[in-house]
Amino acid sequence: MRKIDKKKADAYFKSRVRLIAILLVIWFGVSFGVVLFAETLAKYTFNGFPLHYFMGAQGSILVFILLLFVNAYITDRIDQKYNLVEKKAKASKGQTLQS
Amino acid sequence: MDSQFLVSLLLIVASFGLYIGIAVYNRAKQTSEFFVAGRGVPAIYNGMAIGADWMSAASFIGLAGTVMVLGYDGLAYIMGWTGGYLLLTFLLAPQLRKYGRYTVPEFIGDRFQSKTALVIAAIATIIISFTYSIGQLAGSGVVIGRLFEVDARVGVMIGVVIIAIYATFGGMKGITWTQVAQYIILILAYLIPVIFMSLQITNNPIPWLSYGNVVSELGELDRELGLSEYFAPFENASKWQFMALMFSLMAGTAGLPHVIVRFYTVSTMKAARWSGAWALLFIGLLYLSAPAYAAFSRFILMKEVAGSPIESLPAWTEKWVNTGLLTMADTSGDGILQWQEIAISNDIVVMATPEIADLGIFVIGLVAAGAMAAALSTAGGLLIAISSSFSHDIYFRIINPKATERKRMAVARWSILIATVVAGLVALNPPGVITQIVAWAFALASGTFFPALILGVWWKRANAPGVIAGMVVGLLVTLTYIFLAKFGGFTILGIIDTGAGVFGASAAILTNIIVSLSTKPPSQKLQDEVMDLRYPEQLTYKDGEVWKDDHVS
Repeated sequence: MRKIDKKKADAYFKSRVRLIAILLVIWFGVSFGVVLFAETLAKYTFNGFPLHYFMGAQGSILVFILLLFVNAYITDRIDQKYNLVEKKAKASKGQTLQS
Repeated sequence: MDSQFLVSLLLIVASFGLYIGIAVYNRAKQTSEFFVAGRGVPAIYNGMAIGADWMSAASFIGLAGTVMVLGYDGLAYIMGWTGGYLLLTFLLAPQLRKYGRYTVPEFIGDRFQSKTALVIAAIATIIISFTYSIGQLAGSGVVIGRLFEVDARVGVMIGVVIIAIYATFGGMKGITWTQVAQYIILILAYLIPVIFMSLQITNNPIPWLSYGNVVSELGELDRELGLSEYFAPFENASKWQFMALMFSLMAGTAGLPHVIVRFYTVSTMKAARWSGAWALLFIGLLYLSAPAYAAFSRFILMKEVAGSPIESLPAWTEKWVNTGLLTMADTSGDGILQWQEIAISNDIVVMATPEIADLGIFVIGLVAAGAMAAALSTAGGLLIAISSSFSHDIYFRIINPKATERKRMAVARWSILIATVVAGLVALNPPGVITQIVAWAFALASGTFFPALILGVWWKRANAPGVIAGMVVGLLVTLTYIFLAKFGGFTILGIIDTGAGVFGASAAILTNIIVSLSTKPPSQKLQDEVMDLRYPEQLTYKDGEVWKDDHVS
């Protein structure tokens, strides 16, 4: 165990919170936002669907999945930047590290 | 006994044999390194396991039917049940993983250092899981009822026996690879019929690309019949109800005890994040397909069944009429079955669709096997959550701390048995369709656990009196609203029983904050533990300083 600069740890926390806040704003927009303006969106069509229906049945879910992967990927980069990558992963049965 | 019955039964038995085989094989090999190996599970497979755990009879059997019956308004279920994963993965799962307890009541008990909070959380777990398992038993009743061509209620009784036996396998549930197999069976069983239907109707094997035009065509058919369009928004419920339901399902997802537990099977916060992402990708495969299912089967029903003479209906209709979940009566007496004269229960759409589309006995059997996998795997997990809350959190920690291991196991077994039988009795006469019953469980989770966990993880000032008052108020408000809206016709802004979570959660958050601020702050040690959750697992927060452990992996 060694002590690290608390400012550095807090900067890490801050960049994590900023990322989560941005992703949750998008999350809110494609779910609650789309529902709020459903009647307006219904005037447009996308791929044969009325747009509000497309967003509810496909669009928002695809965005949700994308946001989860973006979060996992960017957080890994933040971990790297702050030198917090796991040094010694518990690997067994020929599994690769850092999978 | 016809060949359909034999094929379905064979596929169900074979798939169950596969799950048990995998469980036995893995257990035998891994006794010594059980936990390490368990935690070495790559995130992608853990994602599949979460998917199998998560997708219950409500997703598999109920969802497409709900969208078919409600049209656009049914999509609140689709968005709610997927969008909740973001709240869970961003705000709770990695932090709860770092805190490192085994159950949610245990986390609440230790985070707030309060036995009262632990007991209330255990009781809430029991209420939520119990409500949820009513939906699962009703679902297995639908499958078994169709299989034996008996009333769905007789199917429920058979389901109770099977589930009670299945749940006593207990430890098997913990083995991730069984759930990976269950996921694969379940998703194949869901995708194969919808791909065939897409080919049949649109000549395009990719349903997600092809069904947009079917949705538009359904709107036209509705206009011809003088009905409101299939995709018209807010026809069955108000916009507020749509959003309240969506919120309840999202917040409930983030607070469901048996789902959170799955994030304890990985080793790091990083793996928890990736597991969440993979899980939603795998879950999304089913959720993106459910509205396609709904559109295709409504299309076939409207085009090919409605409008045909009542004398010459397809053979499959009779079998479903026998279950009591489909009625086709020529009320106008003109000898022709009109679309308006068909009353189809939400819960049979997925099960009946392969027959409606004439996809052959193998596909029908596969769907039955997938539906049983979905209902039984989730029901098993729920019953174990009930029994561990009762036998460990309540009986052992509060009532009889001197109980022997054997005594506790007996209590656990009896509570599984009693819970199954009581849930089965309620499911004999289900108080709603499957998705609705399950939505109540989510409303209750969003009114109790969601506020307690979010504030517990992100607000170090939250204390025991606050969380106790919050959970009690949230539970009471949610329950009261469900009962008033369901049986008393009471609504606010058109929000009905399934959207009750929005009131429960707001009341619980407010109560928690007000009571916490007007009582003593938690001890410095507890506050430090909450601060510690801000940092990744290699960092430890202690006395205002941050320490890094290079040896932790």
